[in-house]
Amino acid sequence: MTQRRIPYIILAPGLILLILFLVLPLISAIYPTFFDGGFTLANYTSFFLDDYNFGIFWRTIKISLIATLICVVLGVPTAFYISKSPKKWRGLLMSITLFPLLTNSVVRSFAWITILGQDGIVNNALKSMGLISKPLTLLYTEFAIVIGSVYLFLPLMVITLVGILENIDSEIMEAAETLGANRLVAFMKVILPLSVPGIIVGSILVFTGSLTAYTTPQLLGGNRNIMLATFLYQNATALGNWQGASVIALIMIAATLIVMKLFNWVAGRMDKRGEASA
Amino acid sequence: MRKNVGLKVFTGLVFAFLLVPLLIIIVTSFGTNSTIQFPIKGFTLDWYGKVFSNEAFMDSFFLSLKVAFIATLLALIIGVPAAYSLARHKVFGRNWIKSFFLSPTIVPGLVVGYAMYQFIVIKFQFPIIQGLLLGHFLICLPYVIRVVGSTIEQLDFSIEEVSWTLGCTKLQTFIKVVLPNITSGIFASFMLAFINSFNNIPVSQFLSGPGVTMLPTSLMNYIEYNYDPSVSALSVVLMLGTIVLMFIIEKTLGLASIS
Amino acid sequence: MSYVELKDIRVSYDNKADILKDLNLSIEKGELVSLLGPSGCGKTTTLRVIAGLIEPNDGEFVVDNKNLTKVPVHKREFGMVFQSYALFPHLTIKENVAFGLKLRKEKKQTIEKKVNDILAITGLEELSNRYPKQLSGGQRQRVALARALVIEPKLLLLDEPLSNLDAKLRLQMRIEIKRIQSQLGITSVFVTHDQEECFSISDKVAVMNKGVIEQFDTPEEIYKNPKTEFVARFIGFENFFKLAPTEDWKYKAVDGTVFESTRQWGPAKRTGTIRPDDIEISEGTEPNANNAVSGKVKVRTFLGKSYQYEVETPIGTLLANKADDVIYQVGDIVTLSIPAHKLIIV
Repeated sequence: MTQRRIPYIILAPGLILLILFLVLPLISAIYPTFFDGGFTLANYTSFFLDDYNFGIFWRTIKISLIATLICVVLGVPTAFYISKSPKKWRGLLMSITLFPLLTNSVVRSFAWITILGQDGIVNNALKSMGLISKPLTLLYTEFAIVIGSVYLFLPLMVITLVGILENIDSEIMEAAETLGANRLVAFMKVILPLSVPGIIVGSILVFTGSLTAYTTPQLLGGNRNIMLATFLYQNATALGNWQGASVIALIMIAATLIVMKLFNWVAGRMDKRGEASA
Repeated sequence: MRKNVGLKVFTGLVFAFLLVPLLIIIVTSFGTNSTIQFPIKGFTLDWYGKVFSNEAFMDSFFLSLKVAFIATLLALIIGVPAAYSLARHKVFGRNWIKSFFLSPTIVPGLVVGYAMYQFIVIKFQFPIIQGLLLGHFLICLPYVIRVVGSTIEQLDFSIEEVSWTLGCTKLQTFIKVVLPNITSGIFASFMLAFINSFNNIPVSQFLSGPGVTMLPTSLMNYIEYNYDPSVSALSVVLMLGTIVLMFIIEKTLGLASIS
Repeated sequence: MSYVELKDIRVSYDNKADILKDLNLSIEKGELVSLLGPSGCGKTTTLRVIAGLIEPNDGEFVVDNKNLTKVPVHKREFGMVFQSYALFPHLTIKENVAFGLKLRKEKKQTIEKKVNDILAITGLEELSNRYPKQLSGGQRQRVALARALVIEPKLLLLDEPLSNLDAKLRLQMRIEIKRIQSQLGITSVFVTHDQEECFSISDKVAVMNKGVIEQFDTPEEIYKNPKTEFVARFIGFENFFKLAPTEDWKYKAVDGTVFESTRQWGPAKRTGTIRPDDIEISEGTEPNANNAVSGKVKVRTFLGKSYQYEVETPIGTLLANKADDVIYQVGDIVTLSIPAHKLIIV
């Protein structure tokens, strides 16, 4: 056996397992969606032309987008605060951020059922204050899915950003201040542009995460606010429509890839710092 | 010293948003009422008893432990040498192979489960449990490749060369020199992969059947028809598990290593 | 009243030990003052108090008769050069330099002119469209300086600006900083731990230790007449020995040797000190001579233009440098003479 073959022998088991149990199953599921006698895109065009299907697709994109935006808005200042706090505090704050992330997503969604439900905490509080007489419909709405998704993915955004922000030289912010920028201006003009790479990575994680999430929409969205993942599951199980499920599967994969490429492309355009020649 | 009150308040609210829902669950698990209420009336530990005497929960709990453990172990056995090879050897199409190893993170979990269910359970009649193990192996593998890979890349290559000059074969060097120096990476990837496998729902959603239900799936199914504090109690038990794991990680590696 | 006044400045973190203890410092207009001291002496803290990056627990900070103690950093209009340079990585050199002017909402043409002028003074015209990552250390240093100067600051603050440069560049930049500073006549505070750098560039030097200024004088004065043992040690007085004053303004060492000095020292001063260069060394012993002790050569070190001898004497181990015209061996008995006009008592 020659030395040159060793790496391939080491890599082979993993590659074979991936091909056998990921690639082949995917091909076998998706291949039939393009072939019905001959090559056809009919399954996909009809999916997008159908108002109900397109509504689900659009809702998924919309909710993911809103959740991502909220995560950015909440995450950037929080991560900035964590990265600026003294070492002993930073560890504690990071653990508090990590804790929900490592807790089961069913548990985390379930928490919001108890908060948003008909007889939930928010409604009870509002009722006892006399602000409402009938409970508000909060659960099983798109709003609930957005909150649940933000809750699910905000820690991911914060942790990604802290990693980036910690590496920004603290003197840079001070330099901006000595030049006449107040804290807010210094943050907006210096820290924010420098944290763009972190925002992009975080946004990819949040967006693709919400786009393909199953648990949260299932528990908080109810039957009227179905998202792609839930729709796939319904098609495959309740409706027995394997073809439909496979179509949705490919759409989810494609959407994930497109979002990643798009965000990275945007990042590449914004990041013109001459890294190449560094 | 210089302070920024606005930022402090903002961050405080965000942390409240992250923690309060979990605190509410903890409180509701002690209520005496048969449906979940907040604030609670009375105090009882009965719901915890109910959780531990619920066979469906306990069976699925042990199944989840088993599957997560075996899947992670399998991912380590296959992933650690692969990560080493990718970091150290001249491999044709190195970056492509690496991306390929990480690809299970790009394919949505539910799709992974769906495709595997259709292919190996329906088409090739594998038992569901094997499909479940393979599915979880797939989601564990990227963690091993990524975390162990970066640990190896940070390891000084010359210590391996020294070992060769001292007469060790490549395999001996890998076992005696490389492995002892990447234990922290291996442990970190084990923890990450285990936690994610244990908590995963989408992959297991399709790959379940009679007697083969993972704990999160079993909990989710329960929530769809029940709204009693035993769900809170089980959630608290799971949170305690998380705390224990975080504590172990903090004491051994420091939490920073997995974030 | 001086142009810049620090009055009884006290700084402590979390109510632990004070980092600055009632620090007082006056700087005249146009002067370049250095804060010199080992790491942890409080020099950077002092600079950050001046900049407004740290708010002192007590004390007052006045510039041009205006009390700035509570004025936030961005309203002080001081230029600061940071140790890491702290250039904005996402902005070009030109944008970096224009940053402060843009915040002042100056006219476009004015900004353009000022930026071009300062880039010319600092020799950066050719690099104006590059990004910081594409520059060498010395070039980054110039950008940091240009960025601080372009806002026409009332005060220029420099925090160990040369410490990240190699030796040759350091020498060059220090001349350049001095040239630009005196050309623009800008009052400056310079923090450094490098004695030579500090002496060559400063009008006045404040030697700091443990949060207090031990001595504030011209470089010549500090070099020749250190006032405390700490200052003496820091600037290269390597010989220290205990002395007891006698009634006739003389001193007695532990072995009874009498030392005379040409100057009078305060009553609390009990330690004699002298630079190794200033000790005269001769062969043999000279019993009962004033200002002289004998001893055995322990170690000889070649320094280039001279040798350094470590000599064990009754008043302690002393270091003496001597040119290589006469060379002593280890074990030789020699006499060390300490000239009365070179003896400093601290």
